[in-house]
Amino acid sequence: MGIFKKLGWFFKAEKKRYIWGLIFLLLADLAGLIPPRVIGILADKMGNKQLTLSLLAEWLVLLAMAAIIQYLSRFGWRTMIWGGAATLEREMRSRLFAFFLKMDATFFQKHRTGDLMAHATNDLNAIQNVAGAGILTLADSILTGSTTIIAMLIFVDWRLTLMAILPMPLLAIMARVLGRHLHTAFGESQAAFSRLNDKTQESISGIKVIKTFGQEDEDVADFDKIVDKTITINKKVYRIDSLFDPAISIIIGLTYVITIIYGGTLVVNQTITVGQLISFIAYIGALVWPMFAIGRLFNVIERGNASYDRVNELLSEKSQAVAPKVDSAPVVSGDLDYQIDRFSYPDDPRPALQQIHFKLRQGQTLGLVGRVGAGKTTIMKLLLREFDHYQGQITIGGQDIRDVPAASVLGAIGYVPQDNFLFSTTVRDNIRFAAMDQDQDAVEHAAAQSAIHDDILHFSQQYETLVGEKGVSLSGGQKQRLAISRALMVLPEILILDDALSAVDAKTEETILENLKHDRQNKTTIIAAHRLSSVMNADEILVIDNGQITERGNHQELLQRAGWYAEMWAKQQVESQLGGEQHDAE
Amino acid sequence: MTQNKEKKTKQQSDHQEPTDVTTSTSENQSVWAQSIPMKEQGQIIKRMLKFTLPFKWLFIIAILSATALSLLNVFLPRILQEFMDKYLTPSRGTTRVILGFAALYFLGVLLKAVLQFVSNYLYSVGSEKALESVRRALFSKLHTLGMRYFDLTPAGSIVSRVTNDTMSLMDFLQFFASILTGLLGIITAYFAMAALNGTGALVVLAFLPILLVAIWYYARYSSRVYRRMRERLSELNVKLNESIEGIGVIQEFRQEHRIGQEFEQTNGEYLATRKAMIHTNSLLLSSLINLLYALALTAVLAYFGLLSEHVFVEAGVIYAFTTYVQNFFNPISDMMDSLSFMQDGVVAGKRIFRILDDSTIAPQQHPDASGEITAGKIEFRHVSFAYDGEHKVLNDISFIAEPGQTIGIVGHTGSGKSSIINIMMRFYEFYEGQILIDGKDIKDYPMTELRRKMGLVLQDSFMFYGDVASNIRLFNQDITDRQIEEAAEFVQADRFINKLSRGYHARVIEGGTQFSSGERQLISFARTVVTDPKILVLDEATANIDTETESMIQEGLRRLRRGRTTIAIAHRLSTIKDAEQIIVLDAGRIVEHGTHDQLLAQKGRYYQLYQLQHGVDATAEPTA
Repeated sequence: MGIFKKLGWFFKAEKKRYIWGLIFLLLADLAGLIPPRVIGILADKMGNKQLTLSLLAEWLVLLAMAAIIQYLSRFGWRTMIWGGAATLEREMRSRLFAFFLKMDATFFQKHRTGDLMAHATNDLNAIQNVAGAGILTLADSILTGSTTIIAMLIFVDWRLTLMAILPMPLLAIMARVLGRHLHTAFGESQAAFSRLNDKTQESISGIKVIKTFGQEDEDVADFDKIVDKTITINKKVYRIDSLFDPAISIIIGLTYVITIIYGGTLVVNQTITVGQLISFIAYIGALVWPMFAIGRLFNVIERGNASYDRVNELLSEKSQAVAPKVDSAPVVSGDLDYQIDRFSYPDDPRPALQQIHFKLRQGQTLGLVGRVGAGKTTIMKLLLREFDHYQGQITIGGQDIRDVPAASVLGAIGYVPQDNFLFSTTVRDNIRFAAMDQDQDAVEHAAAQSAIHDDILHFSQQYETLVGEKGVSLSGGQKQRLAISRALMVLPEILILDDALSAVDAKTEETILENLKHDRQNKTTIIAAHRLSSVMNADEILVIDNGQITERGNHQELLQRAGWYAEMWAKQQVESQLGGEQHDAE
Repeated sequence: MTQNKEKKTKQQSDHQEPTDVTTSTSENQSVWAQSIPMKEQGQIIKRMLKFTLPFKWLFIIAILSATALSLLNVFLPRILQEFMDKYLTPSRGTTRVILGFAALYFLGVLLKAVLQFVSNYLYSVGSEKALESVRRALFSKLHTLGMRYFDLTPAGSIVSRVTNDTMSLMDFLQFFASILTGLLGIITAYFAMAALNGTGALVVLAFLPILLVAIWYYARYSSRVYRRMRERLSELNVKLNESIEGIGVIQEFRQEHRIGQEFEQTNGEYLATRKAMIHTNSLLLSSLINLLYALALTAVLAYFGLLSEHVFVEAGVIYAFTTYVQNFFNPISDMMDSLSFMQDGVVAGKRIFRILDDSTIAPQQHPDASGEITAGKIEFRHVSFAYDGEHKVLNDISFIAEPGQTIGIVGHTGSGKSSIINIMMRFYEFYEGQILIDGKDIKDYPMTELRRKMGLVLQDSFMFYGDVASNIRLFNQDITDRQIEEAAEFVQADRFINKLSRGYHARVIEGGTQFSSGERQLISFARTVVTDPKILVLDEATANIDTETESMIQEGLRRLRRGRTTIAIAHRLSTIKDAEQIIVLDAGRIVEHGTHDQLLAQKGRYYQLYQLQHGVDATAEPTA
């Protein structure tokens, strides 16, 4: 029952809705008591030949009225209570979403997208069930249960009532036990489904390998095996699921047997009439659901509670970023002074960066090169305010970036990450993602800058073309270039290309770099790259290894040093990848 | 009983509200938005039902049990009616009679329980088996499709067809079950009423037209609302999914506010459609059926009341008759409720059949193909090829590779290098020219022979879930552990494999991400070596490889090529410098052809490429 308390804030906010819902529910229950009794009375009257026309009319009017009241109040409670559940789901989903937007990279590394989605769908579903089915079954078992039993006591016979409802608690127990088994079995079935899903996914992704080795039949056989297993597991689910109806039948059957024996005896003794017995049988029918519901209630509550706790646990996680990223503030500008003595990631004692010092005057370009995992991206992350707990300081225009809102810093930066993510909207809206108020000219300019404009003109609907499954599927290089134009749209003081040209061919890369140089004369650019040609024209190039600067200077200086840079340069020259450095087009 | 049933079903269906979230939900939207013409719906349903045929006995027994169950439901009230009218009303019931009736009734209940179990269980198992057979059919079909299909169709949506859409089929069969049991219940209830009192039954039947109108209206109206709701939901989940995946971008560009607002809007729209659905259901679904039931009950009682003026109406008859009225109306809201499943099922079915009917079949060999590759000579004779049948990516390609020779193919991106591999491996069908192996048309070799004798090493080495050994062996159980180890040693993959804690049985997780790209390459070399192909086709891997890996791979490649006819797409000149022939491709044509030295001497395209690659000091470097 704890979950009802935990959701107290919601029920409080929706007090009116639920009070009305309960009133309607009670009204429906009370109206529902009328037909069984009327049937019984009329049966008796007809049997005794006591039925007059006016009496008949009176009872029939009562019946019709009960029918209409039931209809209206049913409509009432359904709209109220199911609507409440839907509202709760919306509310929780909003909270989760707002929360996701606030969270930092650490959080999203810890939780995979699939898990977060599961919270936002399955868990929310379990929670909204509490506000819908949970409230309903709780109220119903109390309201319908008690009114029906009271009606049995008043209209029929108290001894018969007590005897007949004896097997009823079995319904609750059965619902609870079977429900729990079903839940476990269902979990296994879900897991089997996932396996099937993974297998299919893998076969599709690896289709070329499978074809190459002519393993189609074997792959199908493997799939068949998994399917066979799935069937076995699902059979268990159906077995349990198919037990509910028979179990209800038998338990209610017991009640009927008691009613036949004891009720029959009472009728023969003329303690009650046949009509009363008929009413009584109908009332038994009305008790089935409330009793069954008690058992189900436990399951609904249990699941809802677990889900609510899971979601709350998630919501209680704190973002590592010191300042919230949401506000807007004046943007910093000026020379970049990067003075980091030491930085290590949370939960990792080893230093990720040591003694990274450089100055970049406004308008200059910095190149960062080095092995994968050397620390290039980490250098950028500090600039992007993803972590603030480092020794040293970073200033832009003399302003320590930790002293201003994160928005002031981020507003100055156009960041193009390695894994460029595009949204499934139009090409245009992807480009002006961060500047929705910009017009077509600005968009086209940015696209031209990043050498993607001509590609876009070849798409079926040009700038209106949707990106992703429903529209054009882009090559890696096209994605990167779109991501660059997206960053250019905000006219950033500092443009950061984090290995963002890796899938672009050498010629296009040259064009883009040339455009940038021309168009961003007073703006700073930082380029991290694997391919040295990306940085060869930079004002300063830092070679990073193990979080430290091992070599620095401009292209010529570094070549003369004959160190890692020079070696890589030679290697890349000799083995420069002939049209194969990217999987663009073809 | 009606009321209870009503709440139960409603709750279940509410519980089952769509929460299926997959990456491909976005595309559901488009299909949801269109409605399918009636005739097509009928065809789809017919085809889907065909999948149940192999399991017809399960369904037949389930349906027979359901029929027996309906009859029993007619019979049980009759027992009580007998009991009331013969023994209770006249107060004649002795303890023996009473106990006898109780026992008879309980026996009926036990039988009912058994029938319920049998019909439910067998029907579900039958549906499950039918569903899985659709999955098998889909999966097998996918393996007969050509690469072109996979180029054009996102993997996510294919997976969704095999897994999610087939699930809707299950719901679809449940829809049939509820229609069937519903109709059985209605018909038997009607005859039971007619047997008791013909005119009374007609009174109930008079409500049927109203009922049909209600069902028809609900079906029409609700499917529209339902569709809107589903569209909004998938939109919502796509947004959610995308915002999580693209959170970095959103935050970096400080678009939290806008994205948050857009989400709120969609969230609100979904709530609105869901409320509309709740309204529709509350107005038209079980509440309305209940109202009609209550009114029918009133009418029936009015009729019997008037009748009792003239004839004696027994209490038991009233009991039995009113129970039948209930049985008559009971299944209807259930039936209406499952209507949405039909919608889902038809839409899913349409998508499933689109795959099953897809004619992008993988290239076929000649039916009487029986050749055997012995030497490994390859000849291209005037081969032209277009992926879309229109824009040629290969144009009049001719060359001969003698057994054991290496041919290097060089060219810009888009020059057609990969296409040569693609048609040679028979991933795509070509229609112009001829490819000969050992002097015989490539189509005259059975596919298995081609696959066995031609080894392809792909750029991206795909890893399967399993262990290292299974990734080398794949499904070929004829390959022994010894052979696997030898293959790994041969390409020198054994060095890193032996360092793994469980060696060849080290687990490989999804995508093999625990291995470096170089290590993955070596495993894929071993995979090829172990099959000992006569002909080797190489699509050289390049991107972001460090020095050590580089030398590792180069050595592996050298060993791999030994004694095999090799067609290599080169991304490094070092690989092909010593090739017997080098082909330079441009825009799908062979523009130059010769050895490294010959081509350099020509001072043409190759020379340019070579220079471009070597930068300024290429001329200074002595050529090999």
